[in-house]
Amino acid sequence: MAPPSAAAVDTPNVTDPSLYLEGIPHDRFAQIRATPGLAWHPYEDGGFWAVTRHAEVRHVSRNPELFSSAIGHTNLWDLEADALEARRSLIDTDAPDHTRLRRLVAGAFTPKNIRRWEETVRAITGELLDEFVAQGGGDWVDMVAAPLPIQVILTMLGVPTDDADYLVELSNYLVEGTGDAQSIPPDAFGNTTELRLLPFNSPASHALFEYGEGMRQQRQNDLRDDLVSHLVQAESEDERMSRNEYRNMFHLLVFAGNETTRTAISHGGMALAAFPDEWGRVLADPGLIDSAAEEILRWATPVMHMRRTATTDTELAGTSISEGDKVVMWYASANRDEAVFEDPFRFDVSRANSDHFAFGGGGPHLCLGAFLARLEVTVLLEEMAKRSIRLEQTSEPVRARSNFVHGVLSVGMQPAGGTN
Amino acid sequence: MAGEEMVRVAVDQELCIGAGVCELLEPEVFELDNDIVISSVTGDGLLPRARADVVVDRCPSRAIAIVEEEL
Ligand code: HEM
Ligand code: SF4
Repeated sequence: MAPPSAAAVDTPNVTDPSLYLEGIPHDRFAQIRATPGLAWHPYEDGGFWAVTRHAEVRHVSRNPELFSSAIGHTNLWDLEADALEARRSLIDTDAPDHTRLRRLVAGAFTPKNIRRWEETVRAITGELLDEFVAQGGGDWVDMVAAPLPIQVILTMLGVPTDDADYLVELSNYLVEGTGDAQSIPPDAFGNTTELRLLPFNSPASHALFEYGEGMRQQRQNDLRDDLVSHLVQAESEDERMSRNEYRNMFHLLVFAGNETTRTAISHGGMALAAFPDEWGRVLADPGLIDSAAEEILRWATPVMHMRRTATTDTELAGTSISEGDKVVMWYASANRDEAVFEDPFRFDVSRANSDHFAFGGGGPHLCLGAFLARLEVTVLLEEMAKRSIRLEQTSEPVRARSNFVHGVLSVGMQPAGGTN
Repeated sequence: MAGEEMVRVAVDQELCIGAGVCELLEPEVFELDNDIVISSVTGDGLLPRARADVVVDRCPSRAIAIVEEEL
């Protein structure tokens, strides 16, 4: 573990989950960004190097041989060896395991293949928006932001969309597990596994594993043209993935496929309501929809950080990093880096620079679902524009107590000047 | 185009993770195999230098390289 330098003493705390109940502590990140070198940030079992500037997040992301995803954990806290093995998913691997697992799912998520889902996404979105308008608004998260991505990813996986509510509920408990307060007991959902062996230390992971296992058994004798069948085939026939890899992949696809996009749409709705003139520009010129979608992703930064572990002694921003040190990339900060984004705290639907790190800073772990998420956000904006929906916020957001997912649990919205 | 410097690009298939960014940016030059989900260069693999630099930079796994300069 690196020696905490003298500067460490002054590093403002950015990990206390309760800070995030008020939103991202941007002033603290700005202070760290402005300090030369890397800041050492104390944390439970030692500490980590806080990487907060765009250029350095990019460097860490794109040099996986120096900064490993497989050692320790990709979240802030280290896992014991047996827990890491039990919980290891695509996200916690390095090449060659990463390349093998990623290729099993990559085909479904290429830009070309994602485009084939456009009509499905459009139909789901239209239905949700029509209902939102018909009801005169309500909880934006419940009515639009949560159902849209979960219905889309379940359709791709081949999971019955009737189970969407249950899977969203599990996913909410998982986000709690990234904070410091879980609201369900260890034996919830009939769980008997030690929590440290479950993703996010949550009994909801047990339930999600069980659900994935049920799907596996169903598809084993009844292969279809869906993602679960594809994984089952890779697991059973070709032995390209183990049973444990299957259950963690299923878990990751369900969680990552819904929680993050829903967060983007939640913050997107809030931004459109807070900056009606910016949305007005999009309504007047639909040519701005693509840049508006990218700006929403930058603005929302649904995943606020990922962690790597140094494989060797190295140097970054003039600071020496020792082998084994934790290195944490704060996307939430890089996406407000004033050296890269002009006037970064302005929500600008025509921002020319779309080099944000909402999907990570590049490198092999670049978000698998990036093109799917972009499609969902873009189609949402198109369908809102088509219906001339302008949003008015009717209640304060309830935010997740998490330093990892920039989650919004609920926020009231109503359509102003909607279709009627 | 007259005066525009052309370069040849290639894909390292060991490194490719099938993200498809190359095919999105330069569909005339890159094609993803739908079964093995690995990119390869179709045709002569020639691109103007500026556009080649962009795909090299955007490929998440650094699998694309410029193999011949100034053709
Ligand atoms: C706005 C929505 C989304 C955001 C902001 C987001 C963000 C991220 C980030 C930051 C990473 C880590 C990148 C890195 O370590 O370099 C990631 C990885 C990942 N995301 Fe997303 N994501 C979103 C949507 C999705 C969707 C819809 C899926 C669908 C399945 C998905 C699946 C994944 C997977 C499987 C990984 C792990 C990739 C790997 O390790 O190779 N994400 N995402
Ligand atoms: S962008 Fe790179 S990783 Fe993605 S398909 Fe092309 S060569 Fe492969």
